[in-house]
Amino acid sequence: MIEDYLARLRSELAAVGIRGRLRARILAESEDHLRSDPEGVERFGAANELANSFAAELGARASRRAAVSAFAALGVAGAVYAVSFIGASFGHLPPSDLWPTLALLSFPAIIVAPQVAFVSGSLALLRSLRRRDRVLPSAELRVMHRRTGLALLAGLATMAALALFAFEVRNETDGWWVVFTLAGSAAAASLLVVAAVPTTGAARLRPRVAGEAGDVFDDLGLAGYRDDPWRFARRVAFAVGLAVWIAGIVQGDPIDGAIRGLAEALACLAGFAAFGRFLGLRR
Amino acid sequence: MDLLLLATLRHGPLHGYAVVEKLRGASDGAFDLAEGTVYPALYRLEKAGLLASKWTKAGGRRRRVYRLTGRGREELARGRKEWKAFANAVEAVVT
Repeated sequence: MIEDYLARLRSELAAVGIRGRLRARILAESEDHLRSDPEGVERFGAANELANSFAAELGARASRRAAVSAFAALGVAGAVYAVSFIGASFGHLPPSDLWPTLALLSFPAIIVAPQVAFVSGSLALLRSLRRRDRVLPSAELRVMHRRTGLALLAGLATMAALALFAFEVRNETDGWWVVFTLAGSAAAASLLVVAAVPTTGAARLRPRVAGEAGDVFDDLGLAGYRDDPWRFARRVAFAVGLAVWIAGIVQGDPIDGAIRGLAEALACLAGFAAFGRFLGLRR
Repeated sequence: MDLLLLATLRHGPLHGYAVVEKLRGASDGAFDLAEGTVYPALYRLEKAGLLASKWTKAGGRRRRVYRLTGRGREELARGRKEWKAFANAVEAVVT
């Protein structure tokens, strides 16, 4: 009877994503418990419920930790990006019409990917700080994993594009900038890969807990926008576009600022359309 | 559940089965829960740094023994204080 129960528990643990050393430990402890009271199999609880309980109890905490780790790694990547971006002004980059083809191709990723990483990573962190419950609905965990995973992927894409750009313009640019950008992006990419380990570990746990995932309006405390999420998207796009335009005016080129502002606003709306449901921005 | 488990371990290390037995005995059978459910909570408390555990050998059997950490004792003290305040408030209203 004990052997049957442990075999069931073993397969139920695998079904919710608990394998390896953790599963071996759970099985060993369960066996010890059941052998202490051979009549106690009934009282121990159904194997599927117990396995689900492990995944639920461990999943919420693992997902929160993954989001925090990812944000910390993204912070380092963001610092490398900022120093490299500002340093480019002093590194004597050639004008864009002299850039090699691969540098030209990598440039849009250098602009778009970090914004995706920042927004997605911030939303993952915000959700992880807001939802401190012991157990979270499966749908909520999925949203946290998606936000964290997309943030890490976008962060890696940024570092790869930045390194490719620096490598392509290496002969026409100051050596210190190329060395800093290549070394910094390699180090930050390594950190992002390390931060992906807890994320994949958390995503492997698949508890079955009923409940809905919240949306970005829960995260930001803006429930008033829920009935018309596109009103929120339009306002954010307008604010971002305006900020970029003002930056262009400050830099003495209002026409270029307006074009970039419009592009940013459209990118915001496109991002909301593309990732809205995937990242739990709207229901 | 967290406070009950921390309180059960306050007098010294115990393995999972002994935790369940002690919980049942101390509550006069009131906390007669599905015994397996104690383990996910123990694991979570360990991950949170409130408990520590290690394998020991007793009577030829390997057993995982749990003990309170310093943070666990602090959390227990805080939880007991909160519980006493809550219980006193309820008693003041009810009696």
